[in-house]
Amino acid sequence: MEVNINGKATQTTAGNLAELATEMGLPERGVAVAVDNKMVPRTEWTATSLCEGANIVIIKAAFGG
Amino acid sequence: MLQFITHYHRDIGYLDSVKIALEGGCRWVQLRMKSTPVGEILPVAIEAQRLCKAAGATFIIDDHVELVKELHADGVHLGKNDMPIGEARRVLGSGFIIGGTANTFEDVERHYRAGADYIGCGPFRFTTTKTNLSPVLGLEGYGHIVEKMRERGIGLPIVAIGGITADDIPAILQTGIDGIALSGTILRAADPVEETRRLVALTEANAG
Repeated sequence: MEVNINGKATQTTAGNLAELATEMGLPERGVAVAVDNKMVPRTEWTATSLCEGANIVIIKAAFGG
Repeated sequence: MLQFITHYHRDIGYLDSVKIALEGGCRWVQLRMKSTPVGEILPVAIEAQRLCKAAGATFIIDDHVELVKELHADGVHLGKNDMPIGEARRVLGSGFIIGGTANTFEDVERHYRAGADYIGCGPFRFTTTKTNLSPVLGLEGYGHIVEKMRERGIGLPIVAIGGITADDIPAILQTGIDGIALSGTILRAADPVEETRRLVALTEANAG
């Protein structure tokens, strides 16, 4: 499905935020994530399902562009 | 996304304000204790970090790169007169969030190239919380900056800051800004926890 990550349309097979983090190789620390403008603590990543068109903001330099 | 920034208040201590923000559902806190010696910031930072960790909130410290490194805080926010972002990145490496203050698109681009993770962009309007501020941006200023960022493919999260109240939030987020940072609006509220709840709900309801 397609989601929006930092304003860019991105294809993913991840069903939840934890899978997306693995897919993108997000580091273990120094990263904050919001889905549809709601900050999601790392402990809730697995329980946070992703839907088509979800707006995801990843605060981490490597994904800035 | 709502970032709460601490600020000196006659009746509400720094840690109490962090507790208020967390209780109100805010999950992004910046500990800002301007004009306070780092030795006095340390014990407050340790406790604020513990509170944020327990709540699953991201914990950023203003200005003090070495303190961020020592405590393994989530990151640092650097203002225009603080350590340059590139230098902070060299000190901290990639495992920390670095935020930078910007007033213009040129600032945003410079921070982006230097390796910033997010931008605090403002001021939205004149504020008494900070002195020596750059010219106000207003909605038009944000729209202009967001547009230029898109043109240049700069996908850096950007939060608006500076004198923002609840009523401003929907229009600011409509410009394409990702989040809101504020301080005084919460601290000055009659019921700061309830006000935080309202602000968090507003930022989530108006997601771009």
